[in-house]
Amino acid sequence: MWLPFVGLIIGIILGLLTEIRIPEEYSNYLSIAVLAALDTLFGGIRAYLQNIYDEKVFVSGFFFNIILAASLAFLGVHLGVDLYLAAVFAFGVRLFQNIAVIRRILLTKWSPNKEKVEKN
Amino acid sequence: MNVSLTLVAAVVGFMIAIQFQTVKKPNERDTRDIWQLRAALLKEKELESNLLGEIRSNEEKLSAYESKRKQSKEQALRDTLQELKLEAGQTEISGPGITLQIEPVIEDIQLGSPDTKIVSPELLKRLLNELNMYEAKYLAIDGQRIINTTVIRDINRETKIDGHTIKNLPLEIKVGVDTMNAAEKLSNRMKVSKARDEFFTESLRLNVSDADPAVSIPSYNNPIRIKYMEPIKEGGGS
Repeated sequence: MWLPFVGLIIGIILGLLTEIRIPEEYSNYLSIAVLAALDTLFGGIRAYLQNIYDEKVFVSGFFFNIILAASLAFLGVHLGVDLYLAAVFAFGVRLFQNIAVIRRILLTKWSPNKEKVEKN
Repeated sequence: MNVSLTLVAAVVGFMIAIQFQTVKKPNERDTRDIWQLRAALLKEKELESNLLGEIRSNEEKLSAYESKRKQSKEQALRDTLQELKLEAGQTEISGPGITLQIEPVIEDIQLGSPDTKIVSPELLKRLLNELNMYEAKYLAIDGQRIINTTVIRDINRETKIDGHTIKNLPLEIKVGVDTMNAAEKLSNRMKVSKARDEFFTESLRLNVSDADPAVSIPSYNNPIRIKYMEPIKEGGGS
């Protein structure tokens, strides 16, 4: 269960150590991609906790979401409409939902008194 | 399945780190107000104008050097030409030196003998040799400049220097040297030289003047013909 977090920390450390910097113009795309990736990650964790996890769905969703978000931002830049806000909104909402679900599941799992959690 | 989740998490972490680094760039916030910014702008403009001035002065210098270089080539050639002319005796010279005068010895003239005496070329040549020995640099006999190719010879009992006939006595020989010091030395040497005696045996008197700070020696008038010299062909052919 803790393995994904270890992986996250390893990734962050690697990223900080390599000191890669992307050009200012592309930071928008990367931010939206990061958001999409986070959303997929938490979705994966939720599915895992709900025992409906499918590796294919998860991995394909990860890449597909990133690419979709980036291309949406790209399209937005070229159309003059801030389309990436749509992606930010969609992913943000889903992110919160997923995290809420995870929280509830974890609470049910670890709570000694089930009734208390139900009330929540 | 945990593995793929972990890998994806690592990728996400990597992306977050990169994004963080990219966005983090401005470490300090710029908190200057408009007047401080104006002052900074003014400073930069001053710097710019200073730099422009520097560039301009450097360019001016560059063009000055360029023109100087062009001129100096010409100048060098002129200098060389002048030097060569000086050496060849093509220039009029005025400087320290002495004047020698050759005149007949009046006491020695006998009645009835022809009064014009000829200075024999041999005598003149000996005199010139002696002068050269004492480091005379520029010579003129009777207004005729003596150069390296000058000939002094007897043609039909007339002494000729490069075609110029010496007829009248007294005869003036002008000798130029480089410094006043050398002129004095030359004068003293000539005053005690054997040349006086040699002239006297031919009934001629050689008067040696004291050192003169300004003796003017004329230039060589005739063209100098060069028969046996050729310029080296370009490319250094022998």
